[in-house]
Amino acid sequence: MNIFKEIGFLLHKDLRLEFRSSYAISGILLYVFSTIFIVYISFRKVQPDVWNALFWIIILFASVSAVVKSFVQENSARQLYYYSLANPVSVILSKILYNIILLLLLSLLTWLGFSFVAGNPVKDTAQFFLALLLGSVGFSITFTFISAISSKAENNATLMAILSFPLIIPILLTLIKLSANALRLMQDTGVQKDIFILLSIDLLLVGLAMVLFPFLWKD
Amino acid sequence: MARKNWWKALSVLLLLYVFIAGLTVPLTPGITTVSPSSVRTGESFTLEATGYNSRYTQGGPIRAWLKMDDEHALAAESVEVAGDRKVKAFFRMPEYLPVDRKVQDFTLVLDSEVDGASILPSAVFVTQDSIDPEMGQKAWTNSPVAQLHEHWTMTYPFRNILGETIRNTYFHVPMWFAMLFIFIASVVYSVRYLRKGDLGNDNKAEAYTRVGILFGLMGLGTGAIWAKNTWGAYWSGDVKQNMTAIALLIYFAYFVLRAVFEDPEKKARISAVYNIFAFSTLIPLIYVIPRLTDSLHPGSGGNPAFGSQDLDNTMRMVFYPAVIGWTLLGFWIANLLYRMEKIQLWLMER
Repeated sequence: MNIFKEIGFLLHKDLRLEFRSSYAISGILLYVFSTIFIVYISFRKVQPDVWNALFWIIILFASVSAVVKSFVQENSARQLYYYSLANPVSVILSKILYNIILLLLLSLLTWLGFSFVAGNPVKDTAQFFLALLLGSVGFSITFTFISAISSKAENNATLMAILSFPLIIPILLTLIKLSANALRLMQDTGVQKDIFILLSIDLLLVGLAMVLFPFLWKD
Repeated sequence: MARKNWWKALSVLLLLYVFIAGLTVPLTPGITTVSPSSVRTGESFTLEATGYNSRYTQGGPIRAWLKMDDEHALAAESVEVAGDRKVKAFFRMPEYLPVDRKVQDFTLVLDSEVDGASILPSAVFVTQDSIDPEMGQKAWTNSPVAQLHEHWTMTYPFRNILGETIRNTYFHVPMWFAMLFIFIASVVYSVRYLRKGDLGNDNKAEAYTRVGILFGLMGLGTGAIWAKNTWGAYWSGDVKQNMTAIALLIYFAYFVLRAVFEDPEKKARISAVYNIFAFSTLIPLIYVIPRLTDSLHPGSGGNPAFGSQDLDNTMRMVFYPAVIGWTLLGFWIANLLYRMEKIQLWLMER
């Protein structure tokens, strides 16, 4: 079977599973909205620079908890079944794609929810949206791969945080810079350079994930 | 034996050379302070300069200039030597300067036969009472800085803020080079494990990672001491300091990951995968992002690294051996760690 077709099938399966139970998305949404509400109650008035930092912290934690179950939500026998049918590369790519969709949805809803209670300081909407898109892609690649690693361990939620937080920092810092620019907190002439860095980190990581994942899944 | 272990001897020899040459070779004579540091136009003043490692009483007359730019320099009318470390130069500043700025900085250039030329950038700030560049241009009597005594000596350059701490270049900077080489070796063993599946490769990768972390910590330590002496604080939140701290966190996580698994095969496989993944995020962390942000380090925010300002030919003679020496030492330590591990495993199996 053609690899794109395989990815399509696996992605379709993941989306169908999600729609059927809608456990993940509703759980994560509840998580996001309670976090936003806690932040709102404790800050009341949120300055734009604080808004920027808080927004990305909320996204970071929500993304980790959204992605962590990528490889544990189905039991290992069924995982084995997928692996025997499909190419491991298409398994990881379909998971990454699925998580990109999930995280993009998540960050858009966070933006909506956060703007609703704390105001929307975004001046350049297109650029902010671009930051969200690039953020979802970067987060999804890193977290999906790390969740594949940590799913091999028993206590995987803690391991996930320990392994992924230091790895995500370069992406996160560049994103915060990019979105600070979209909020006009700073005037940055090097936006293209930031976007280029993010894209090249993403490309590097996705390549590595494709090469390394086949070594990971087989037990 | 000798054919196999020559590189260990080489590392010891190189490091001995680095310690001896790095710590004993003197600095080039320089100027530490001048007074007064600010004057007004139309003033005649005696500039008192304090030298460092200088020998003003020996060897011929001393000439002095205040240099504004390449076209404009003002020679001292007379220079009086007051000891090996003190020199007094008499200048007459004209009424107008050929610039339309209120305050203009001048570089002090001293030249003598034994010491050669020494320079203090922005030594004197001249404040203009009234600005008239055309008058200034007419009144200016240019006396170009010429016939400097340049002769090569085995000395390290004198940099005003760095002073003697410039020698740390042979200890702080090679730590990073050595760390990178050691981490590369570790990744190579991880790749080899994934391809061939020999547990020895995994043990080697682990040993190299440990030593890499050791070098990283040493780099942070030597850097912090250097920063205290030049920037004024052990930790100033410089982007390179922060990124390095994060890089070390990534590698500490490697050991946490290893501790999770009981089964040696599974531990080896998963930590090899993580090691490769972590190493590739290290590259943007340490080598790309700091270059794009403002940093106090040379080589960042558009500053040149390893330009002639930072590393002259004399320093290169010590710096490159230092890089090789420290790297080889790191490989040696890793080798010992790996063999120790192997013996421990062997003892456990008995």
